[in-house]
Amino acid sequence: MILIGELSLWVALLMAAWSATVSYAGGALGRRELVASGERGMYATTVLVVLASIGLWTALLTHDFSFAYVASNTSRNMPAVYVFSAFWGGQAGSLLFWCLILALYAAVTLWTNRVRNRVLMPYVTGTLAIVLIFFLATMLFGANPYERVEWVPVDGRGMNPQLQNPGMALHPPNLYLGYVATAIPFAFAIAALVTRKLDNEWLGAVRRWSLVTWLFLTIGIVLGMWWAYVELGWGGYWAWDPVENSSFLPWLTCTAFLHSIMIQEKRGMLRKWNVTLVVTTFLLAILGTFITRSGIIESVHAFAQSPIGNWFAGFLVVAIAATAYLVTTRLKDLEATATLESMLSREAAFLYNNLLLVGIAFSVLWGTLFPILSEAVRGEKITVGAPFFNAVNIPLGLGLLALTGIGPLIAWRRASVANLKRQFAVPVFAGLALGAALVALGMRDFYALVAYTLAGFVTATIVQEFWKGIGARRRMHGENPAVAFVRLVARNRRRYGGYIVHAGIVMMFAAFAGLAFREEFDVSLRPGESFEATDPYGHEWRFVNQGVSYFEALNRQVVAVALDTYRDGKRLGVLSSERRQHVDSRGLPQFEPSTEVGIIETAKQDTYLVLAGVTGDDGEVAEIRITFNPLVVWVWLGGALMAIGGLIVMWPQAERRRAEGGYAAALRPAAPAGETVPA
Amino acid sequence: MTMRRRDFLRALGASGLAATGLGAAAARAQDAAPGGAAQGEPLGVTNVPMDQGAYRQVRLPPKPGATRSMTRDEQNELERMLRCQCGCTLDIYTCRTTDFSCQVSPALHRDITAMVEGGHPAEAIVEAMVGAYGERMLMAPTKEGFNLAGWIAPFAAIGTGAVVLTALLRRWRQRAAAVAAGAPVRAPAVLEATHEEMERLERAVRGEGR
Repeated sequence: MILIGELSLWVALLMAAWSATVSYAGGALGRRELVASGERGMYATTVLVVLASIGLWTALLTHDFSFAYVASNTSRNMPAVYVFSAFWGGQAGSLLFWCLILALYAAVTLWTNRVRNRVLMPYVTGTLAIVLIFFLATMLFGANPYERVEWVPVDGRGMNPQLQNPGMALHPPNLYLGYVATAIPFAFAIAALVTRKLDNEWLGAVRRWSLVTWLFLTIGIVLGMWWAYVELGWGGYWAWDPVENSSFLPWLTCTAFLHSIMIQEKRGMLRKWNVTLVVTTFLLAILGTFITRSGIIESVHAFAQSPIGNWFAGFLVVAIAATAYLVTTRLKDLEATATLESMLSREAAFLYNNLLLVGIAFSVLWGTLFPILSEAVRGEKITVGAPFFNAVNIPLGLGLLALTGIGPLIAWRRASVANLKRQFAVPVFAGLALGAALVALGMRDFYALVAYTLAGFVTATIVQEFWKGIGARRRMHGENPAVAFVRLVARNRRRYGGYIVHAGIVMMFAAFAGLAFREEFDVSLRPGESFEATDPYGHEWRFVNQGVSYFEALNRQVVAVALDTYRDGKRLGVLSSERRQHVDSRGLPQFEPSTEVGIIETAKQDTYLVLAGVTGDDGEVAEIRITFNPLVVWVWLGGALMAIGGLIVMWPQAERRRAEGGYAAALRPAAPAGETVPA
Repeated sequence: MTMRRRDFLRALGASGLAATGLGAAAARAQDAAPGGAAQGEPLGVTNVPMDQGAYRQVRLPPKPGATRSMTRDEQNELERMLRCQCGCTLDIYTCRTTDFSCQVSPALHRDITAMVEGGHPAEAIVEAMVGAYGERMLMAPTKEGFNLAGWIAPFAAIGTGAVVLTALLRRWRQRAAAVAAGAPVRAPAVLEATHEEMERLERAVRGEGR
């Protein structure tokens, strides 16, 4: 099986090349048999890549250390689940994982479009095949997972212990699922540009794939935050590391696209902008991969510096040049007669929302690349860390939060003053009331106050929308509130799924603002000694050191500290933290020691314990850091809610209702001044 | 199988050193570090071979009769502005209080503590650190010279975008007003619509499909 897998990769490369060639030729010459052959070639490529993946998984699970990849990323005493996830844990395997997802996505795209979009499909197939050729070639010539070692070791090196975590087993595949999905809208955009069929039809085909991108990137990013929080042990979940930024960039542009696509659907505007966003999202996904794999920017996440970074740089340049050529030579085809009835309209709000999303993407990209620019211009290496990103992005993020509430309240085309008063009165009051209450309670942090005021406002807008919708259903159909809620969401998934996503965003912003009140304490404790502290809510905490213990587990040597923990005099239990030195099956140390943090998680705050070290001649003095992290759990809950909302938006809906929500609304006439056109 | 605590600590230390390639030189540096740089040592930088050669001792001569120039909390804040050089991308405070294996951030902390105890203000300490390591020691670029471009560009880009967008929206609104008033609109000379769009338009005009 392993040999078949190895050979399959080479055949897959040839098959993808065939598919790309005949698909483009078939499209250009109008020869259906070539187009069909290209599609069959893509299906065959998919089968071959699946075989290659099964081969690698077989090598991993059978501990075949004759392969360098298996020997470098696994060991015999690793839990099976992490041997399985080692497939995407290293450079070469993760490239094969890219190919696997891309090939499967391509097959699904071809299958679901076997009747629809036939004019576009030759170029979609060809473009996807070209992207696949790039990844296969990069892997085969730059980082081949089937490369063999000169002598076969008894055991492998094992996986970095920090990657042996459920979050890390799930975080990369979700990110890859999101990154790779950007290739499908990109392929449709290229096809639309090549064929000059730049009406709304291609957008319909890519919208769901953009939602796939958005959904998986959201899940992947939040899982990555959770992993960093519980595994890295520095007490936070987002450090503006270049690799974190790389995953955030396509998420931002994809989010912008999912808003601006509505304007094109409703009004036929923004053709150029939407093509640009689709292409940019894909290019940012490739750029992110380049940053991760080239070692060009210092990052804790980056794979070892390797020559494949040059491959990605080359591909990026070619892709930018090709798309720039296509867009600039089709500007006339992308022309649309845009009109706007009023600045007070949802179109305008969405456009400002796009401006902020793309602006944040620019600032993150700029901050990430600025060290390179600085070194090139001044020859001076600099650091652009959290203080920069926070200073730039917090105000922009708060502006975005405000628009999250404003956009859905304003009508399409034109909003009257009466409409604005009716829609905004309660939410504005709710936001200001919350802000005033927090000031009265003693909150003084400016950004936190603004964030909570806006969070109150946006929450009220969402509740108001659901309240009105449920009320209307109850009046019209006599349904009870629960049934009315379910049917309201089910009958208009895009709208109400979107509100659920917004609710998740609000939760996250509220949690981010909680960081302003975080408190940290560095303590040295001998056994029996205690430490007392007051948390941001005024609770009195007491931690009593039960001692430092040393023991061995399955594949690691552990040093641990246990603290008996009391809040306001009531015992909560034992909070412990570990430092682990992982060993291979011969007991030889592998990698650097890693941290297991101790967390008491509540809705109000996390009490977070890190064993930073052990000192003293007898090794009994625990050097610990205790952090009170307010509202952290709401980051995870907000992320989960965003994913649920995204799934609701994505869920297929009857064609009839989509048509009603789309084209019929697009041709509705503008309302006379002073009246509101319902959304 | 059991292991004595001392053996365990020794193994842990040895493996950590082996993993980071510090070796004996790092151990020597560590032993020497707490008091190694005697007070009164000449101003300057001493290279100490540590993790990736990252650590360089930075000291300033203590001021006569010096007392601590800042509280421990203020020192922690100062350490949050300075980056650990071990490659972790964290600031010194976060790295030293959470990373068991890093040898660089504790050494940097000792240097900062010595300078704080020598009566030197934050600005002088930052200057000395930047002098030794370069600007990459700072967690964010300074707001001067070329770095200013780094700070201004995001806001300039968004500001420009806002101006362009507002102008565009105004133009579109004027176009809508002209349509409403029946005035001729500047539209493409040739009607550019696909066959499908024309069919949809026709259906819409006839009131079908609503």
